[in-house]
Amino acid sequence: MDYFAGVSDALRLTFVQVMIMASLSIGIFIIGMYINLKKWGMGSTGYGQQPSGSILAFPTMLAKQMSEHAHVHNQSVLETFVLDILFQRRILRRSPLRWFMHFTIFFGWMALFVLSLAMFAVEMVHLISERLGVHALPEFLYPEVFRELLAVPNDIFSYILLTGIIIAIYRRLFVAKVRESTIAYDSVLLIGLTVITITGFIADGIRTGRFWGFDMPVEWAPPMALFHVVISLLFCIAYIPFSKYIHMIAIPLALLANKGGE
Amino acid sequence: MAKRKPSVNTENLTAVQLMELDSCSRCGECVNWCPTYDAAGQDPGLAPRDKILRWREFMNKSYGLRARLFGPKEIPEEDIEKFKDDVYKCTTCGMCATVCESAINTVELWESMRANLVKRGNGPFGKQGAFLKLIGQYKNPYMEDNKNRVNWFPKDVKVEDKAEILYFGGCTAELKQRKLALATARLLNKLGIKFTMLGEDEICCGSALIRTGQYFINDTAKVNAQKNIDNIKAKGAKTVLYACAGCYRASLIDWPRLTGQKLPFKVVHITQFLQELIEKGDIKWEKSIDKKVTYHDPCHLGRHVGVFEPPRAVLKAIPGIELVEMDRIEENQRCCGAGGGVKAGVPDLALGVASTRVEDALATKADLLSSACPFCKRNLSDGRDAIGAKQLEVEDVVVLAAQAMGIDLSDSPE
Repeated sequence: MDYFAGVSDALRLTFVQVMIMASLSIGIFIIGMYINLKKWGMGSTGYGQQPSGSILAFPTMLAKQMSEHAHVHNQSVLETFVLDILFQRRILRRSPLRWFMHFTIFFGWMALFVLSLAMFAVEMVHLISERLGVHALPEFLYPEVFRELLAVPNDIFSYILLTGIIIAIYRRLFVAKVRESTIAYDSVLLIGLTVITITGFIADGIRTGRFWGFDMPVEWAPPMALFHVVISLLFCIAYIPFSKYIHMIAIPLALLANKGGE
Repeated sequence: MAKRKPSVNTENLTAVQLMELDSCSRCGECVNWCPTYDAAGQDPGLAPRDKILRWREFMNKSYGLRARLFGPKEIPEEDIEKFKDDVYKCTTCGMCATVCESAINTVELWESMRANLVKRGNGPFGKQGAFLKLIGQYKNPYMEDNKNRVNWFPKDVKVEDKAEILYFGGCTAELKQRKLALATARLLNKLGIKFTMLGEDEICCGSALIRTGQYFINDTAKVNAQKNIDNIKAKGAKTVLYACAGCYRASLIDWPRLTGQKLPFKVVHITQFLQELIEKGDIKWEKSIDKKVTYHDPCHLGRHVGVFEPPRAVLKAIPGIELVEMDRIEENQRCCGAGGGVKAGVPDLALGVASTRVEDALATKADLLSSACPFCKRNLSDGRDAIGAKQLEVEDVVVLAAQAMGIDLSDSPE
C-alpha cells in the first residue's frame, strides 16, 4: 500500500517505512516513559513515608491525592479536566496573551494529531478491506477521498498552530524578560515544533502546488513528506519523555493530583 | 568498576512531587510574584522556577536515562549546599503555588526538599537547627518554662478545667505576644463562653519543625501532635479555637497527616467563631474604634486553607472601623516574611519582605495594619520599625474586637 501515493513510483513512501518509523518512535516513547515512571517511583506513596522504588508508586500516590479532601479548591475531576486541562484557565487567569498563545498551540496540535490518527485509521481500514477482498466501503473511507475531506480542517488547524508558534517565537526573541530566562530546555521545544509545522506546510504546498511549495518540483513532495513525518514522530512522540515535551503529560497529571491547584 | 552512587536521594519526596518537577513549564509567573526573590534583590537562585529546574537536574543526573545507562553523574557538594541555602530562603507562603499554571503544590515540595536535605545532612538553616532541641526540652521554641504559658493570666480570667471549647493559645501568643492571648481569653469570658486551655500541657504545634523539614527527626512533630490531640480530648473539647494562623494550619492539615488519623474535634479560627457570633447578633460592641484599618491575610490562614472572609467580617462589624484593602490581598496577598523559618534563619530577608508589606499598607493611608496571626504581627511590627513608619499601628483583629467590646487590655504583659 502507498502512503502519500500518486506522486511518482520512484519516490513513493511506503506504508511499511512509516509504520517502522512509527513503531520505533512509540517504542522509544514507551522506554522513556518507563524510565520516567521508575524515576517518579523513587518517591514515596505518602508524605513522610519511605521511598517506594516501585513503578506503581506514582499511580498509587496520584490516586491517593485525587481521592483526598483538599482544603482549598476541592473540585471534581471533571471540573479539573474540562476547565483546567482542556480550557487551561490557570494560564488565562495569569495572562490572556500567553493563554491565547498556548491554547492555539495546544488546540492546533491536538486537532492535527486527531486528524492524522483518523487518516491513519482510514488507511488501515482500506488496507484490511483490500486484503479481505471487501470492496463495498463507503466512498469517504477511500484514502484519496478522505484526504481531500481533511484538507480544509488540516489547513485551519495548521494555521491556528502556526499563530501560537509565531507568538511564542516573538516572546522568546523580543520580550526581554522571557528572552533572558530562556534556556536550551525551552528552545528545543519551540524549535522542534516550528520545524515540524513549517515542514508540514512545505510538504503540503509542494504536493498541491500552493504558496508553501515555493515552486519546488513536485518530485520533492514525498521526501519532504517523509522528513515531516519522521521528525513529527521523533519530536512529538519519541522525544516527549526526554524533553520539555513531557509537560504535555506531566501538567495534566499535576492538575489532577492537586485538584486544579491552590 | 562499581557504578558511582547518586549524589541525591528521594527521601521525603512523594512520587507525585517527583513528577511535579517535570511539570514546570517555566512560564515564570512564580518569579513575578515571589516575595523573597523580590526582597533579596531578585537573586535568581531564589526564584521558585530555578529551584525546580535545579532539583530536576539533580534527579536526572542521578536517575535519568544517562544515569541508567552510564551511571549517575556526580553533583558537586557546593551545588547542593547552594541549593539548600536557596530553598531555605523561602517563607513557604504559597504564592508560587497560587500562580503556578501547572498547579504544582510548591509549598509541600519545598518542605519535602528541606526534609530531604536535613536527612542528607545539609539542612536546616542557621538558627533553625535549634528548634528541635528547644521544642524537645522546653516544649516551645522560645526557651520559656512551659508553666509560663498561662500562669500569668490576671485573676479575672476564667479558664475552665474542662469544657467543650478549648482555646489553643500557641507558643507565640502565650509566651511572647501575650496581649493576644489575654484578649482572646477575656473576649470569650465576656461572651459567656466556657472554655478550657491546655496550659503547661500544651506543646508546640510543630509548625516550626514541619516548615523547616525537621518534623521526622525522632518523630518529634508526630509525637507532639498526638500528645496535643490526646490532651485536648482529655479536656473534653469538641471545638478547638486558634488565634494563631500557624497553629491553626498545623492542626488542620499537618496533625491528621502526621498521626494518620482524623481529628476528634473541630478546628476553628477565632475569627470564624466571632463571625458566626456577629451574624447571630451575640456580640455587643461598647466602643468605637475610629480608625482606617487595612488587613493582612496570614499565609497559613488565607492561601493555605482559604479563610479570607471571617477576619474581614469581624473588622467590618467593629463600630468606627473603615476597612481599606491593600492592592495584594486574599489569594494574591504578599507574605509578611516571617514564615517557613525565615524569621529565625534569615532575619534580614524576613525584615526586607516585611518592609515591603508595610509599604503596601502605607499606600492605603491606613492608620492601622491588622492581621490574624501573632507571628505576622511581630514581623510586620519589625518591618514598620525598620522603615520608620511609626505612625502605623500594627494590631491583631482579635485585640481590636476585644477593645471594641469594652475589654481593658492595659494590664497585658508585652
